[in-house]
Amino acid sequence: MKKQLSIILSVLILMTLSLSACSSSGSGSGGSITIGTQTYTETKILAEMYKALIEDNTDVSVDIKTDLETSPVTLKAMQSGDIQMSTQYTGTALSAFFSIENPKDPEATLKQAKEDFSGDKFNFKWFDSVGYANTYAFAVRDSLAEKYDLETISDLKGKANNMTAAFDTSWLERDNDGYDAFKNTYDLEFGKTRPMEIGLVYDAVKEKDVDIALAYSTDARIEGFDLTILEDNKQFFPPYDASPVVTQKALDNNPGISDAIEPLLGKLDEAKMGKLNGKVDLDGKDPKDVALNYLKDQGMLK
Amino acid sequence: MNDYGYLSIFSARANDLLIALGEHMLITFASVMLGCLVAIPLGIFLTKTDIGWIRSITFTITNVFNTIPSLAMLAMLLPLLGIGLVPAIVALFLYSLMPILRNTYAGFTSIDPHIIESARGMGYSTTQLLFQIELLLAVPYIMSGIRLTTVYIINWAALATLIGAGGLGELIVSGLGVYDKPLILAAAILAMLLALVADFSLGKVEKFFFKSAHSTQQQN
Repeated sequence: MKKQLSIILSVLILMTLSLSACSSSGSGSGGSITIGTQTYTETKILAEMYKALIEDNTDVSVDIKTDLETSPVTLKAMQSGDIQMSTQYTGTALSAFFSIENPKDPEATLKQAKEDFSGDKFNFKWFDSVGYANTYAFAVRDSLAEKYDLETISDLKGKANNMTAAFDTSWLERDNDGYDAFKNTYDLEFGKTRPMEIGLVYDAVKEKDVDIALAYSTDARIEGFDLTILEDNKQFFPPYDASPVVTQKALDNNPGISDAIEPLLGKLDEAKMGKLNGKVDLDGKDPKDVALNYLKDQGMLK
Repeated sequence: MNDYGYLSIFSARANDLLIALGEHMLITFASVMLGCLVAIPLGIFLTKTDIGWIRSITFTITNVFNTIPSLAMLAMLLPLLGIGLVPAIVALFLYSLMPILRNTYAGFTSIDPHIIESARGMGYSTTQLLFQIELLLAVPYIMSGIRLTTVYIINWAALATLIGAGGLGELIVSGLGVYDKPLILAAAILAMLLALVADFSLGKVEKFFFKSAHSTQQQN
């Protein structure tokens, strides 16, 4: 029994060692970086844009690692050097590792994200926003909005307790902008909750599995599936402006990256991003093709 | 950001942890139970039938279920069954079929033909033979199939949260979303403990049946 145990232990130790050896080999020096993406489409489209621009303008070669489960996972992967770049949203990143100081001010929140994540703990360069925010938005079927006369989240009062709500699982645990805080701000609670993978909430509300979904505002399925967004009339959700974020180490090794992605900043807006997302989520196109076509249309790529 | 650590979380979030544990046990129990209800009679039928291709087709189909990655299985059931508890239980039920079926089949075919012959000689009818002798002798095999399945299903049930079925996976995924390490670890530990306890207690049951089967065999 003891012998078996020591064999198992040594195998485990060997595995950990070889795994950590693998991950440290791709640390971003020597002209190559890895971009990580979250599970939803726009992060994949943006990653393809960064890749195309960086490879077009520098000698750096770029890998893309898709479908990291959540934003904090991508940030931790950057911190440990497994990836060097990702798209981040101010409110999401700050509330996971810091605390948002001015939740109603997008400019101040962006400034805070730049400062907090440039510190020793992370040492990231947080770029200006690509031009839009992907915020949380409650969505109901058009027919239900008409039936109950819903325009704002406050209109749900007295109706929410008979409704089933779908949202991404982590919303339950978020401090500043999660379900507990939401219940306090709006003084309403859903009858049933169904936390699930974010990509499924749109189908769930369309197929009437649930009555209301907490959507991402740039998702084209809101329009494609005839859903109505309820206005966040108490401004509960903080800003979620999207920015490319790169580790300072990768920038020091490959200074050309900043200039390469610069043309992208400030160029998108919520509607444009929504349209690009729709080409993938509704029309089934490849994120890479969508990204390259956009860059060519904009003259950023030959 | 959280007012709990790796240990205090078990009291601070006791309610949430217990609810998730309960959901996890419900998903596991329901799918294994359904698996038994289908796979045990089916396995017995397969040992009795003379038609070889039914046997090979049944084994092939249940084998194929087990080769589908669990995430893909959930995704494939979505358009058919939607979200929530039902598709999660159906997916895990499909996984439970193969081990229970195989072990039931092995249990019945391993019975010494002499025992069956002598029982027939003593005037046992086919039904009596099945319930009083064969099933008793095969139960240890069936139980080890159930035990194996249960432990696997406890693991796979952690994915059920992705389609809105809750369980301990929900706390793990939401913990990932806000980088709440104590929460991730606490839920993972509970899932591990659940698997260990299930393995241990089903092992006891298996042993008990093995002993009683052994004495049945000796009596004959």
